[in-house]
Parts: sequence; structure tokens; C-alpha cells
Amino acid sequence: MSSEAEPIGNPESTAPAIETVAVRRLYGEMAAVDGLSFQVSEGEFFALLGPNGAGKTTLIQMLTTLIPPSAGTASVRGLDVAKDAAAVRTNLGVVFQEPALDERLTAEENLEIHAVLYGIARRSRKKAVESAIQWAALGDAGKRAVSGFSGGMKRRLELARALMHGPKVLFLDEPTIGLDPQGRRDLWDRIAELRRGHMTVFMTTHNLGEAEACDRVGIIDHGKLIAIGPPGDLIAEHGGSEGADLEDVFIKLTGHHLRDNVATARDRMVNFASRGGEHTK
Amino acid sequence: MSDHTSFDIETPGVQAWMGIAPAVIHVMWRREMLRYFRERSQFFGGISRTILWLVILGFGLGAALREIEGYTYAQYILPGVMTLNVLYASLQCSIALVWDREVGLLREVVVSPAPMLSVTLGKLLGGASIAVFQGSIPLLLLPVIGVKVSVFAIVAAVIVMFFMGIFMTSVGIVIASRLKTFEGFGAISNGVIQPLYFLSGSIFPLRGVIGGVGFLDIPAALREELRGLGIFALGGGWVVQLPGWIQFLVLANPISYQLDLLRFVLLDFQQLPMTTDLLVTFALPLFAAVVATIAMSRTLKKK
Repeated sequence: MSSEAEPIGNPESTAPAIETVAVRRLYGEMAAVDGLSFQVSEGEFFALLGPNGAGKTTLIQMLTTLIPPSAGTASVRGLDVAKDAAAVRTNLGVVFQEPALDERLTAEENLEIHAVLYGIARRSRKKAVESAIQWAALGDAGKRAVSGFSGGMKRRLELARALMHGPKVLFLDEPTIGLDPQGRRDLWDRIAELRRGHMTVFMTTHNLGEAEACDRVGIIDHGKLIAIGPPGDLIAEHGGSEGADLEDVFIKLTGHHLRDNVATARDRMVNFASRGGEHTK
Repeated sequence: MSDHTSFDIETPGVQAWMGIAPAVIHVMWRREMLRYFRERSQFFGGISRTILWLVILGFGLGAALREIEGYTYAQYILPGVMTLNVLYASLQCSIALVWDREVGLLREVVVSPAPMLSVTLGKLLGGASIAVFQGSIPLLLLPVIGVKVSVFAIVAAVIVMFFMGIFMTSVGIVIASRLKTFEGFGAISNGVIQPLYFLSGSIFPLRGVIGGVGFLDIPAALREELRGLGIFALGGGWVVQLPGWIQFLVLANPISYQLDLLRFVLLDFQQLPMTTDLLVTFALPLFAAVVATIAMSRTLKKK
């Protein structure tokens, strides 16, 4: 066992796992993310909360190098997301809200593609695929087309896939959404196991029970960070009455009004695909 | 698993030179192949199109249009039907990007460190390969339509179809990059594929003599001899005179030249200048591929 001061596999970096300094992202006149500054340290388990349209997705898109910040900086393990995008990407494991799998291919074939995209050595690919199938407890299902998988199986597969290349920071966008209680519990146990392995996890969630289990929670609204800290502290500070929980804090800070979004292009695609629309599988 | 690198796997990174990563190109091409061979409906679509056009239209309309410059109508439209299959295959493959980007594997691809140029090249090669398979389906009916084609001609046809596939997959990628949402293939089929198909000289000749009643009834040996003398029709017929605006549209359609070259390699029958055919078939796809690469990297960055 090495001491806490020397994280395994990361001797060179003293930088935080994630750091943003006054990061902004504009869409026309509108600031989707408006001057966010925060840090997530190595091995931390961090949950980002916020109502729909608060800027969570934009923030994740910037941190995963999909879009550059309009102003300010964001970095992952000391690597700037705009300047060192390729290096940042090798450090990340990403699981999206909706499955990003090729449904006509088998689980193993999906994993093989990932192995190549992340530059896993040719001689290690087979082992990497086998380990991931084992980790996801998919067994013989690994040789079946993903189109026949349940939501929980797909999510386990994606989580295992995101771990294949040995990422240092894991991004999980609503990891348990759409799962039944058993599936949610199972996935949560797997995430907890990663936590014990000192993986840095950055997740978004609407499930405040899950958020309460995290080391720290950040709440954003209208592109601004309105609270950050361990869940216990936030409840003590903003909860008010005895027996308050994180949901009370969340509602108090973000207000009661509903955030109904107009369906985005993606929503429409998802609906079309889920109805079995032609050429979507 | 006490370490946060979970599977203890060797990850030297993607080997790439100027955005060209052979392993990435190969895996993205292979993905398209797996999808194609696993989904039979596309293959059966190609079969049914071939039967409809080549057999039913070919022999049905061929009963009235006895011949075009010495070729039966079914023989004349053979390269056209191959082209139709190429158009469907390439566009279907590339338009799939629209949903792949929103709800499919592509979202996983865009956050990976793999160079997007190689991802695009894999897609282009995949689309072109599927186009060759689909475009070759009508060749299965060669015995039925009574034309002898050498192995060399088939190899040449495959090369032409491959470049046609690269061209149309590129066009499809550019269209896909402009589409925000996608609820069905119908608009693409009616709005892109069919105009390109009908205006390519696929089902009607651009020039020459049609009809020649009786010519086909002459014994084959004599027919060959007459052709050698430059006589392609006997007992009447009429000279093709297309309306000016259709001529213009046909000449403006790049598919016309690619199809003309395909017809030349298969049937030794050419209606357009060879130089233009070669340029449009082999040079234009390279240009289109560059445009498609730019369009693709733009659409991937936005998401």
C-alpha cells in the first residue's frame, strides 16, 4: 500500500483532476456557462446538480473537449481542454446519458472499436475486451448484438467500456437514469467500487439521494455555480429546518418553477429511434 | 482492483501520422462491413430494385423499345440499375451519420483521442465498399439479359463503382452534416437519389438510334457483321433528340459521366466524351472527399 500522499499511477501530477477558472461559454448573446470556477481533486467523487438548462451539458462538453470555452480556462489533470484536447481525451472515460453503442454490433465488437479508438496495444486488445465483459458481468451476452440488451446491460457495458483504457477521470452523465431499482443499485455498487479504487468521478444527476452519497456536490443554475461543498455542509447551511435533505437545499437554491425545455434535435431523434424509426438501429 | 486504472491494460495511444491512423480507418471500415452483412434488408432492397428495374422495366419497356444502338433495353439500363444501387447504398450509409451523431456510436467516437480524419476515411471507404457490393447485384442477372462480360470488364466496373461510392458517400456526409434531425429516408430518396438517377441517362439514351425494328431478329453472326460495318439499326427507327433543358440537366449531373464510363467498360457503349468521364469519375470523388472531411470535422466539433 502506498501512502495517501502519493496517488498510484500519477506521480508527476500535483494538479487537481479538474479545474476551471472563470470558464464561460456563449451561444450568441446567451451565456450557457457564465464564469464557473471550481476544482475537483484526484480521487474525489463529485456530483454536479442543476435544473434542466442550467448549463450542465455545456460544462461537460467543455470538460470533455467537445467544445472550447469562450473565455476562461478549464483543465483536466493540468492539461488545458482547448490546447491539449488529445491528451485530455486519453485521460477521460465518458458515459453519456443515452447509450452511445452500435446496436447492430455485439458487445465485444463495440468494445473492440473502443480499444482501437483509444490506442490500446494490439496484443492487449483481446484481454481488454475480456476484462471489460467480465467486469460488466455480461458473460455469453458479449457475443450477442447490443440491440437485444436491457437498459441495465447497456449501461454496464458502457461503464466497462469507459474504463477499458485506464482513464484517470470518469465522466458520468446521469448514469442511473432510466434504470429499474435493481439496475440502479447494481450500477451504483459498481461505481462505489471505482470510488474505493480512488477513481476521480464527475457525475451529473437528478437523483439527490445519489448526490448525497458523493464527497462534494456543486449546484449550478443559469450557468453560475450557486453552491459547492460536502452534502452535509450544504444541508447544514441552506437546509433550514431539522431533518432537511439535499432536495430541500436544491429547491431552495434553484426555486420552484418548472424548467420545461423545448424538445431539442436530439430529443426528437431519440423519440424517433425509440419508435424504431427506419435506419436508426 | 485497488488501482484506479481498472484493467491494467497497455495503452500506448493511437498511432497516427498527419491524422492518418491505419488502425482507426480499418476499425471504422470494418464496423460498416459488419453492419452491412448483418442487416439483410439492405441486400434484399438491392435485389428487389434490380428485379423491378432490370427485369420488369427492362423487359416490359424493352418490348416496345426494341433496341438502343444495337443493345436491348435491358442491356442498356443494366449500368443504370447498378448506379441506382450504388446511390442508395452510399447515401444510406452516410445519412446514418445523423442519428449516429445524436444517439449512436459516433458520440463515443467524438470524445475519443482517435483522429477524426481517420474516422471519416473509414466511413468513406465503408460506404464505397457497400456501394460496390450493392452495385454488383445486377451483375448476377447477366445471363438473363444475354450479355457476355469479361472478367476484366467486371474488375473495371468494380473500380468505377468504388469511386462512384466514394463520391456519393461524400455527398451524403455533406448532406448529413447539414441535417439537424432526421425522421426517415424518404426525403433523401425522392429529393436526391431519384433526380440523380433519372437525369443520368440511366433509363433513356442521350443520343443514337432507337428502335430498329427487326434488327434483333437477324441471326447473331450477321448482326455482328453489320455492326462491324457501322450499321446498328435496320428497318427504321428514330434518332434520339432530347429536349434542351433535359440535355442540360443530364450534362450537369456528375452521375451521368460516371454511369457513362460504367456503361463503356461493361458494354463498350459510350455517349459522352471519354476525358470528361475519366475526370468526373476519378478526380471529382477526391475533391468531394476533402469537402466531406471538412464537413464531418465541423459537424463533430459542434456536438
